Amino acid sequence: MTKVLTKHFDEPKLHELETYRRLGGYKALEKALGLDRAKILEEVKTSNLRGLGGAGFPTGMKWSTVPPEDKVPGPRYVVVNADESEPGCYKDRVLIDRAPHQLIEGLLIASYVIGAKDSFIFIRGEYQAQYEVLEKALAEAEKAGLMGKNILGKGFDCRIELMRGAGAYISGLDTALLETMEGKKAWPRQPPPFPTVAGLMAKPTVVNNVETLSMLPHIVEHGGKWFADLGVPKSGGTLLLSISGHVERPGVYEFPMGVKLRDALAAAGGVRGGRRLKGVIPGGTSMPPLMEKDLDISLDFDSVRAAGTFLGAGGMIVLDETADAVAVAHNIERFLAHESCGQCTPCREGGFWTEEILERLMDGEGVPADLENLTRVGTNITGKVICALGDTVGMVINGYMSRYPEDFKKRIPSNGQG
Amino acid sequence: MTVKAPAKSPFTPEQEKTLVAWTKRYPFSNMGLVEALRSVQEWNRQILPEHAARVAEIFALPFSRVWGVATFFPSFTQWKTGKHRVGLCHGLSCWMAGSTKMETCLEKTLGVAEKTTTADGKFSWETMECLGACEQAPALLVNDRLVGAATEESIKKLKEGAK
Repeated sequence: MTKVLTKHFDEPKLHELETYRRLGGYKALEKALGLDRAKILEEVKTSNLRGLGGAGFPTGMKWSTVPPEDKVPGPRYVVVNADESEPGCYKDRVLIDRAPHQLIEGLLIASYVIGAKDSFIFIRGEYQAQYEVLEKALAEAEKAGLMGKNILGKGFDCRIELMRGAGAYISGLDTALLETMEGKKAWPRQPPPFPTVAGLMAKPTVVNNVETLSMLPHIVEHGGKWFADLGVPKSGGTLLLSISGHVERPGVYEFPMGVKLRDALAAAGGVRGGRRLKGVIPGGTSMPPLMEKDLDISLDFDSVRAAGTFLGAGGMIVLDETADAVAVAHNIERFLAHESCGQCTPCREGGFWTEEILERLMDGEGVPADLENLTRVGTNITGKVICALGDTVGMVINGYMSRYPEDFKKRIPSNGQG
Repeated sequence: MTVKAPAKSPFTPEQEKTLVAWTKRYPFSNMGLVEALRSVQEWNRQILPEHAARVAEIFALPFSRVWGVATFFPSFTQWKTGKHRVGLCHGLSCWMAGSTKMETCLEKTLGVAEKTTTADGKFSWETMECLGACEQAPALLVNDRLVGAATEESIKKLKEGAK
């Protein structure tokens, strides 16, 4: 099976510049700096690379919405979103730990195409160890003339700076991330304008995920078509799944885009203890689960969406038959209510009440109206808030209630009087 | 609420230098604010209005802006954390792997309730949202460093091994 990002992961010193270069690292950057920027953008479009931080937006299309320098002069930025905080996702942590230079090389290629002389890696504060890995890798890169002024003697200048977050999940949403970087509360912005037009300090800014940018050296090296052919139509390359939960061998696995759910599960050793599968959260806890009947679906953005949920950032949590849907939904809604930034009333209040009602069900004090209220509250949030966190509050509760109605009904005492 | 910076800085001269350095690290001074507050939290194990007021002065920002940020982010606390700030993940995978039991274990082993610090100032513990270590569930974080899956044993060792 073709591996792209994790191909050299059995090299113990891959995180060091010397090893990375010995294995061909930074050759793609050298190639890129000799190419016309428009040509690289074309290759990225051809590659069908899509944002692997959760949204699945085509990367080439995002880049092409940055206004050209002759129309909007002045600085433009590329920001790496390394604020991986979606419960179930940890592949960016592993990518940084094992291959920081792959990310830096990808970021430099993106910066060259966008015309960014200042680029940033925004990493969650809890990843202090990974922050230090990046600090060291950047120092190595700078010393070797790969970062800073006149990179590889090709006249391209780009400085990469690191910045840490302070524990808020919402900082991982692009516009909230930019607010955090500007020294503000992480309140999402209401687009338009999108960050590519007015992002960091109102300058054109591309925000890309760690995994997305780590793909770029390979696209430049082998071409967009090669990458597209690894995946499925409209979604090229490979994807990393962070697998955890009721599974035999949790870990990060790389698959071609479009791998069957059944095969991904098998790679991780299958459901623990040979138990029966109850569901698989495909992309992190904000995404409703896939069911046993979905085992043969193809894991790519469009197929998962057609099955009524989202591939997200590939944070796969396996639930076996012992999992209770009400308790699982309660854990997720508690998280979302805690992480709501409070800006939009439907999310702030609706998330709180969703958690409260679920807690009542858990305590055995539910009344029949609770189920209707959960649906009503959820439906009244989705689509009526600025960002995806609020949408998720409704999507999760309605997703679990429609998939596991029996688990919810069981929680209403039979006298039904509360 | 407006708080004026105290006549005497609550920071040491060295710390003052670090804060000023954060105003210069990025292309715009405000971009250093969250990092500066991270430093304040690390030094004092809490951020109080007097700290925020001095930071506001250094960054030439209104107090309300700095206090708003200091009270928004979960890493910043107004209560004083222990020297060893222990976080227990209770995200879905960690909760499925028994994080609730580990809460009881932390309370018993450290002898304090959640978000409370031991009398000697050494430890505090709190539940945290997903730490990004779901393969090591239930994950523990000590002072922003992942220490892997929590067990009763590992929590006891953590207490005994800490300086």
